[in-house]
Amino acid sequence: MKGTPAYEALGQALDAQRERLLPCVHCGFCLPACPTYNRLGNEADSPRGRLHLMQAVVEGRLEPSSEAFRTHIDRCLGCRACEPVCPSGVEYGTLLELARETATQAVPPGLPTRFLLKVLGTPVLRIPFFFIGRLLRGTGFAALGATVLPSYGPFRAVRLGLAMLASTRRWQPMDSKESMTGIADSGSLDISQKSRVAVLLGCVQEGLFRRINSATVRVLEANGYEVVTVEGQDCCGALHAHGGDLESARTLARSNIRAFEASGADLIAVNAAGCGATMKDYGILLEEDPDFAQRAKEVASSVRDVSEILDSSGLRTGASVPCKIAYDHPCHLLHAQGVEHAPITVLKAVPDAEVHVVAGAEECCGGAGIYGITHPELGGLIGGDKVSAVRACSADAVATPNPGCMMQIGAGLRLEASNEGVIHPVELLDESYRRAGFYRAGGAE
Amino acid sequence: MTRPLPSTVVSDLAEIVGHEHVITDPERLLVYESDGLTAYRRPPRAVVLPSSTEEISAVVELLHSNGIEVIPRGAGTGLSGGALTTPEGVIVGTARMNRILKIDVENRLAIAQPGVINARLTEATNPYGLYYAPDPSSQSTCTLGGNVAENSGGPHCLKYGVTARYVTGLTVVLAGGRIVQLGGVGRDPYSTLDLVGLFVGSEGCFGIATEIEIRLLPITEGVRTLLGIFESVESAGRAVTKIMASGLMPAAVEIVDGPTIEAVEASVFAAGYPLEAGAALVIEFDGTEAGLDLDADRAEKCCLEEGAIEVQRATDPEHRVKLWRARKKAFGAMGRIAPDLLVQDATVPRTKLPEVLAGIDDIGNRYGLKIANVFHAGDGNLHPNILFDRQNQNELELVELASKEIMQLCVDAGGTITGEHGVGVDKREYMTLVHGPAELEAMAAAKRVFDPASLFNPGKVLPDVEGEGTTKSEKILAMGE
Amino acid sequence: MRVDLTDSLSSLLPKEAFGFSVPSSLPAALRTDVETIIAPGSVEEVAMLLQWASERGVGVVPIGTGGHTYPRCPSDPFIVLTTSRLNEIQHYEPADLTMTAGAGVLIRDLATEMAIHGQWLPFDPPDVRNRTLGGLVATGLSGPLWAGYGQLRNHVLGATIVCGDGQTLRLGGKVVKNVAGFDILKPMVGSRGELAIITSATVRIFPLPVVDRLLVLEAADISELVPTARAIATAPIMPASVSLRATSNRSRLLVRLHGAQVSVDSDQKSLEKHTSVSFEVRDSPEDQSLMLEERGGGMNTELAVRVWALPSRIDALLDVLKQVPGASLNADVYGGSVRAYLPEQISDIESSLTGLQKDIEELGGTMRALQIPAEVNASAYFTKPLADEGELASGLKRAFDPQSILWGIG
Repeated sequence: MKGTPAYEALGQALDAQRERLLPCVHCGFCLPACPTYNRLGNEADSPRGRLHLMQAVVEGRLEPSSEAFRTHIDRCLGCRACEPVCPSGVEYGTLLELARETATQAVPPGLPTRFLLKVLGTPVLRIPFFFIGRLLRGTGFAALGATVLPSYGPFRAVRLGLAMLASTRRWQPMDSKESMTGIADSGSLDISQKSRVAVLLGCVQEGLFRRINSATVRVLEANGYEVVTVEGQDCCGALHAHGGDLESARTLARSNIRAFEASGADLIAVNAAGCGATMKDYGILLEEDPDFAQRAKEVASSVRDVSEILDSSGLRTGASVPCKIAYDHPCHLLHAQGVEHAPITVLKAVPDAEVHVVAGAEECCGGAGIYGITHPELGGLIGGDKVSAVRACSADAVATPNPGCMMQIGAGLRLEASNEGVIHPVELLDESYRRAGFYRAGGAE
Repeated sequence: MTRPLPSTVVSDLAEIVGHEHVITDPERLLVYESDGLTAYRRPPRAVVLPSSTEEISAVVELLHSNGIEVIPRGAGTGLSGGALTTPEGVIVGTARMNRILKIDVENRLAIAQPGVINARLTEATNPYGLYYAPDPSSQSTCTLGGNVAENSGGPHCLKYGVTARYVTGLTVVLAGGRIVQLGGVGRDPYSTLDLVGLFVGSEGCFGIATEIEIRLLPITEGVRTLLGIFESVESAGRAVTKIMASGLMPAAVEIVDGPTIEAVEASVFAAGYPLEAGAALVIEFDGTEAGLDLDADRAEKCCLEEGAIEVQRATDPEHRVKLWRARKKAFGAMGRIAPDLLVQDATVPRTKLPEVLAGIDDIGNRYGLKIANVFHAGDGNLHPNILFDRQNQNELELVELASKEIMQLCVDAGGTITGEHGVGVDKREYMTLVHGPAELEAMAAAKRVFDPASLFNPGKVLPDVEGEGTTKSEKILAMGE
Repeated sequence: MRVDLTDSLSSLLPKEAFGFSVPSSLPAALRTDVETIIAPGSVEEVAMLLQWASERGVGVVPIGTGGHTYPRCPSDPFIVLTTSRLNEIQHYEPADLTMTAGAGVLIRDLATEMAIHGQWLPFDPPDVRNRTLGGLVATGLSGPLWAGYGQLRNHVLGATIVCGDGQTLRLGGKVVKNVAGFDILKPMVGSRGELAIITSATVRIFPLPVVDRLLVLEAADISELVPTARAIATAPIMPASVSLRATSNRSRLLVRLHGAQVSVDSDQKSLEKHTSVSFEVRDSPEDQSLMLEERGGGMNTELAVRVWALPSRIDALLDVLKQVPGASLNADVYGGSVRAYLPEQISDIESSLTGLQKDIEELGGTMRALQIPAEVNASAYFTKPLADEGELASGLKRAFDPQSILWGIG
């Protein structure tokens, strides 16, 4: 309610962003880049429209609790495709997070969202949560549920969730029965030149895609990097920030900053685009925190997507893995981090891998957290278009360096009974190195 | 306070387009209160988003039969307030009508709906070796319907002409929802008057174009792009005069001045211009590959003869993008150095450019306002950008006065008040600088032929008798209610 | 013009406005009772004249050099007004590439003046050099060079006109980009004397091409040339013009290329490669004007029609037209229109024309009579507008010529 301390605090949060909102000259260049505007044709579902609503809240013309404000801010995928095309350099991603914070403080989000964010941000809850997930996956229950459950009403969300879970299975050609660890042969690489790298394990990644984390460590080591362990690292806070729970995001950020500072690493390798984007923005997230502002900036400046690290110093060539791969850009790598070619370079470093960039790869897959569940129709439209584009490649597998995208595309393929595999680019490189005999056998995976 | 629509009208509209495409919630209508010219804002009574000619016709019929004014809107990127609503108006938006209906490669024609984005038409016809020539700077987002309404130009209209040259036929919805065909390739053009030519540039005041027949051009063999850095706008201008006088026919000639370069260099788009740069000149030639180096050499010579600090030539498509960067990012970069911006759009005979630019400089100094100029030097179309902060009441008035002086200066030099942005609401008060009462009455008479009850976009283009004497700042404040 | 009208006018206009003889090209119907025509010498005089005429309900037939067919004979009383004394070049700034001149200036005189500065007007409708600027703008005719330069309507930047009620309007301006208000100048171009009298116009002019090369291909029958012609019209190169000329015994494809020497050479090579054809080159201006003459074989006739269809259907149009024995054809390949000059000796002109019109319309085309012998009822062969367009055009007519005194070429 206007006039209450809570309202004053809200106004101030966005008010402080007046500087960030001012550069918007209302030119509309962002409209054609926006997946929701392209499909709905409604100005309120465009970046310009959303910024206008934020401006209206700041000016006091609109209540943050207003249904209009919340609906259209919610409907944004957060893909940030609008940022690269903005001639004024408006920091839409940051403003969206603040708008979401304002909106969720006025009206808290629904139970599913609150539950998920709580679980992901708390290791004690997270570990059993993903254990159950792996169980449902491993027993085939998830796959069964995705096939037999109907698609309407309450079942729709459950079916989608199970499909996403089932899709996280390893792609068969990558299925090495041997467990591997360590490097048998580092070739002629000069290790002393390379940096010490810490790897962010993440929450979803470690919970459902541990194989990607292991592959990440291996390929870095195979290319001569020293990988250091990081005690006390946590979920990066991306989903919390995207969802507007900036306080939790900040708490998680502080834990990670302490942990990565202590690790002594020169670079932080991230293999999840969403996490990489958030960590590179830690400086902005904690800009108001006098104790952490500077530290956050420094840690943020050492964050790289793993493909950026691999691409920067010449990739080692492994053995042939003949396959056709469709590559899709994660929004948080292409738009938010501006990384376009590095992951494709990683894929192309594999002999006999034929790599095609999916048509419309710059458009969001519709993953966006739990968008598919909160916005089933629109999410279905956007996701459906992505799946069609992927299938049009007639590839053996689709590669995309972000777990959320992998699950969204994977679920979509599965629900269309299409059997492309879904991988992270480092998995292919890792397989190529394995076949080339770069690794020692034995040890835990 | 905007008066809501009667509920019967709302439900009838919902029957035509579907309830999700009728917006009546005042909070949701806020995003439609401005187009690209944010100095003016007023939320409409409603917004309707039809998806076909028939839907547009039915919506217009319904609204007009209830005496409700229709305000057409495309992408809302216009710079003259053409899509600003009247107090009683309902916006009919074409954003959902985004299909290209037909590409006739043999006859080099396309038929498109008004919501098709300008650049997307070129993208769609490129595979056939064709493209759509008019390239306004907003082409990545502006729509064809808007281009028709404003008779849009763009840098390459120097050689290739404006929208009116490429629109060969129209399906329009007129007053009362009447669907009419105008023109069309293959018909005797003399069976009637050039109604297509009259409709193009009518700024949404005559009706809504729902299908646009467009002439396409073949993609040229090659292109050469040059960037000349000069110490002053004057020397850059002299280089342009030399180039045009030499009989060369460049495809585009653009200049950005010192303050603009400053803004670009201060922004994220910094292109590394030298500090002494007082003006940057972009010249482009296209056509038969064999002749292009010759043209570029001659242009380069003209630049050097007029004292260019350096002349760069693009060696590949990526380099070409880089050379254009200052020009293309200029508008956006302005947004970073001042809270508010007023963009003008006067055109003067090209030979008068140097004196007009000096005059604008003088006006800026006298009013203490920073003015950054971006212009289509080849055809004398200027865009002075006046930078200000609307929070300062005083500054608003100064901007208004400076604006008026700039207009007068351009008209006195034999020019006109708008070259491509249109009159809209923003330049109505200047119409009397270039038109007498008889001409204005003739335009009003033409409008009455198409829209006798004045239910399409009233309050645009032609000045109101009562409106005389209102200052822009008063208008802005009034619009804010 | 009748003596009583002359008396009334002589008090209004100076004596220089009188005493002009009627051009012999003017149709007979308009020459009856007309011994002299009025030639006002200024915009003000035109305005006074039209005001005078509209107050008295006297029809006004505007002419330039009088070379066009007037399909309807105005009812009595009427006067004929020529713009031939409005013949000043008012403003010519070569560096601005614009020129303003009175409606009565002959194109050939403009051309001479512009050529001194290396400039020209790239419009080539039939017999353009003998036309007036006002006639060109009022008829809105372009000619095949529109392919390379755009139609005339895109290059008329401004005009001073006098409406049927005597109101003078100054439309447009002198600048090449102008969207200040509704573009009523556009319907004035090509209004053919029905809305207003154009007293002066500002046009965009162009630098003369360095090289003006004519490529020629001959064949016995015009239809043999159509595939090559269409191939050129859809080639990546844009020639300045592409046209076909045919008489009963010979046909030619004529392609004009403009530009610098290296460009023109390269374009010619590209076209020859694209069409697998080798062209004859005619570079001398004398040769070129012979080739480009409007009516092949020096044909003199009072019977001519023009037909339009989508450019891709030009073969069908030519098939129909060449059936008329002795026809001389002139086709604009880019625009998909053909002018057909028909011998007057054809039996039963009316049924021939009706038959032609029917055949053309069956193809999805339209036909309009350009010239009709006096004894034939011409109005049947002028294309009717679509109903809605006609209504809008009538609305404009009422707005600009409320007393309906202007009798143009329709």
